[in-house]
Amino acid sequence: MNQLIEIAGLTKAYDSKHIAVNNITLSLPRGKIIGLLGPNGSGKTTLIKMMNGLLTPTHGNIRINGQFVGADTKAHVAYLPDRTYLSGGQKISRVLDFFCDFYLDFQRDKAMAMLQSLNIDPDMKLKALSKGTREKVQLILVMSRDADLYVLDEPIAGVDPAARDYILRTIINNYNPGSTILLSTHLIGDIESVLDEVIFMRYGHLVLYTSVDNIREQHGKSVDAYFREVFAC
Amino acid sequence: MLGKLIKHEWKKVSKAGCLMLVFVVIVTFFGWLAFQSPLWRGLAEDNYYAGINPWDIMSFLTLFLYVLMLTGITYGIVIYTGVHFYKTMYTDEGYLTHTLPVGKHQLLISKILVSGIWVMLVILAVMTSVILLILSFVGTILPEGYTLGWFLGRLFQELGIAIRNFRIDYNINLMRYLLALLFSVLIGPFVSVTTIFGAISIGQLFTKFRVLMAIVSYIGIMICNMLINSAVRSIVMAAHMNELLFDARGFDRYLNSTIDSGTIIGIVTAALLYLVSWLVISRKLNME
Repeated sequence: MNQLIEIAGLTKAYDSKHIAVNNITLSLPRGKIIGLLGPNGSGKTTLIKMMNGLLTPTHGNIRINGQFVGADTKAHVAYLPDRTYLSGGQKISRVLDFFCDFYLDFQRDKAMAMLQSLNIDPDMKLKALSKGTREKVQLILVMSRDADLYVLDEPIAGVDPAARDYILRTIINNYNPGSTILLSTHLIGDIESVLDEVIFMRYGHLVLYTSVDNIREQHGKSVDAYFREVFAC
Repeated sequence: MLGKLIKHEWKKVSKAGCLMLVFVVIVTFFGWLAFQSPLWRGLAEDNYYAGINPWDIMSFLTLFLYVLMLTGITYGIVIYTGVHFYKTMYTDEGYLTHTLPVGKHQLLISKILVSGIWVMLVILAVMTSVILLILSFVGTILPEGYTLGWFLGRLFQELGIAIRNFRIDYNINLMRYLLALLFSVLIGPFVSVTTIFGAISIGQLFTKFRVLMAIVSYIGIMICNMLINSAVRSIVMAAHMNELLFDARGFDRYLNSTIDSGTIIGIVTAALLYLVSWLVISRKLNME
């Protein structure tokens, strides 16, 4: 079984008019870096939240490693949300202890090395860090796991180009090559070079799921250019 | 995983819990200080009409604040556990909580257990503070030659006699009331926090104004609880009407029945609300 994620008839409707994700069926393989792309409100974050058990689907289901989303799948999924989920009053070292306790695949040494490379003192409290540094700490926590699936929701949104480079470098250098990265973003130009496959979403629908090579060969365009063409206003 | 959840939850809640315990100690010290005013010492010497001085006014004010503070602390710890539950389950921090590889029951049990224990510790601290203050008052007004040890000895002796006499003369077991009080102190905190957590979880079923709806739900649950309690009390009273009018044991039976039914209703409500919380986080979770 090479498919890591199997999504079947997935729908999330908040009410009859507001359908965030509409009947998506999709299988995603192992060992790929996949871009989840779409304009604002296309349903990317909703889909990601359902993969992580933070939203209950209205219809359909998601299976990761053959299991429905639950405690077992969460042990193998490293999730970076689009917000800070760490309590500001905690020291970084205590957050590392927390991750060590709950995620068997968490590598403390790797996290410490990454923190050191950024000159972040593990004894500092999170609230003492700048917003950007807090986001980097969160990314370090996620990428220090040896997970089967990394789900990164807008990891490079709202950061300066230098930080963007650091984040992408961290992702590429630290993920387990046998695992899959699902990365949602608007900033396609910045990540295009690392992507193997892309998913285009619009108004909750799946518009396209194909390989980056396929877009280049069939349409003779970069993913960024093709995205602009597909989603032109 | 449950052990790990309890460990980390304990670390998070203990900061506020310890702070409240320290606060109880400080408030108790000021309460003790209030009884050191000449007014209270004068009570023992029968000269308390000698006139009230500023110390006495301060003493009254301090005692008034003592009562306010202890009430505030008791409610404060319960409110804190509710806010902590909401924050770690249904705000941004919930993104970490709900992506942990743990079962939903484990998550809820760890939170109820830790919050319940802290509420119980604070309630026990408040009760100890009140007992210490009463002893401090008794110590102040005891006539010369009498010690607190003598007073406590007499108190327990008289209590033993009262329990024995009530059993012999009226066939009423006062120990049962003491055990019921102990039971409510031990179980009550867990029932309270489970009820609050349930109300917070009900609030999550709404798409807007989730905090407000949690508060409304809690008020609704409390009103329902009171109505059911009143109905049960009325039924029990009707059943024991004859005994209530003509027999002292009737009042005892009535009181015991109402205490028991109140406890059972509280536990059943908490069990139902636990189920609601579990259903919300496992079947209806919608993190904004």
